[in-house]
Amino acid sequence: MATSSKQYLTRGEELWKGRSEKVNAELFALTYGALVVQLIQDYEDYAEVNKQLEKMGYNIGTRLIEDFLAKSNLGRCSDFREVGEVVAKVGFKSFLNISPSITHQAPPVPTSPTRPTSTAQANSAGSSFSLIFDENPLAEFVELPEDALEGGLWFSNVLCGVIRGALEMVQMQVSAEFISDVLRGDETTEMRVKLIKHLEEEVPIGDD
Amino acid sequence: MTIYSLYIYDRHCTCVYYHDWHRTRRPKLAVEGGILPAVSQAVVALAAETNSSTLTIYSSPRNTLTSASGVVVAVNEMNAQSAVSPLLQAPPSPVGISSTGLAFDEEVKLVYGVVLSLRNMIKKLSGRDEQFLNYRTSAYKLHLFETLSGYKFVMLSDPGTESLRFVLRQIYVGPFLEYVVRNPLVNMDSKEYGIDNEYFRTSVDRMIRGSSFFP
Repeated sequence: MATSSKQYLTRGEELWKGRSEKVNAELFALTYGALVVQLIQDYEDYAEVNKQLEKMGYNIGTRLIEDFLAKSNLGRCSDFREVGEVVAKVGFKSFLNISPSITHQAPPVPTSPTRPTSTAQANSAGSSFSLIFDENPLAEFVELPEDALEGGLWFSNVLCGVIRGALEMVQMQVSAEFISDVLRGDETTEMRVKLIKHLEEEVPIGDD
Repeated sequence: MTIYSLYIYDRHCTCVYYHDWHRTRRPKLAVEGGILPAVSQAVVALAAETNSSTLTIYSSPRNTLTSASGVVVAVNEMNAQSAVSPLLQAPPSPVGISSTGLAFDEEVKLVYGVVLSLRNMIKKLSGRDEQFLNYRTSAYKLHLFETLSGYKFVMLSDPGTESLRFVLRQIYVGPFLEYVVRNPLVNMDSKEYGIDNEYFRTSVDRMIRGSSFFP
């Protein structure tokens, strides 16, 4: 079931257009900005703020995935590469109307002589993809002050949590983190999502 | 073509919701602590019905508990009451045959076990792409709709019904999304609470009663 990336793009486009309740982008950006500012005032430690944003994103992600699965009606992805494609082209498009570009990285080559085939590689723990955001609706009007830059604040860290939460609900444990951010003066905003492992389905506790 | 009942299981293999429309045998109340709170008020409300109908036969000061049927804590007290009098198990309503002898919590576990075993066997036999859809016995047909996130929607209907997966998907996309996923007061992935709430229950009820499958 090799759906081409173009089909994913059109699907994402359809889902975005099909959404009945949309929020004003400026209101969204300003509300998120106010949220981050409030967190900074409360915690006063940028690492902690990053953690809290990620946690909030996690809670959002665990529910967002239901919305996504219900509306998009997509089946299970065959490998982690496809997961990345779906996240970038359908997921972000249908919720935020942005299409980040994606680059895949295979897992690091082990020293063992018996190498698995490339398709198996794409699904094994350690494979990752990077999302590069040309536009970030969360950071529309944002400029980071000096101490935020020094403190290591990742402004859009909530997105990392969303991806982690959503993928965990479909049996994948991933780590998502920002590598660079234009708000911090880097050239691109890039998020790396790495597969840690596939989670096993739970079985009921046998109490007999 | 009638629909008998609906069970929803989450990815932790626990029943988080139960709803029934027609049942020939009343479910026995769950053992104390056997089911999560907020799975179904029916487990409590049924006892309330039986209480009011058997007032003449068995009057007890404990009948005052009927007013507390909305409160989860009352499950335990209802249990004590029904344990005392087996009469309460058989309400004189038209569908009142005595229960199968299975407590509700055991029943949901068995239903889940059946679904899980069949699904795993099918996956082992034919690979990941094949899906378990439904099975049929002489008395009922059990339909399964499973989401990638691990939620399983199980519906029991009469044997003549065609596949109700579509209806289950409608429940997922409609009431479940609206009143459970988008409801911040519903604790979704917890291992301690079900997802029963007023809006969800009434909208599921309305949807099923309004569908063409319901007489």
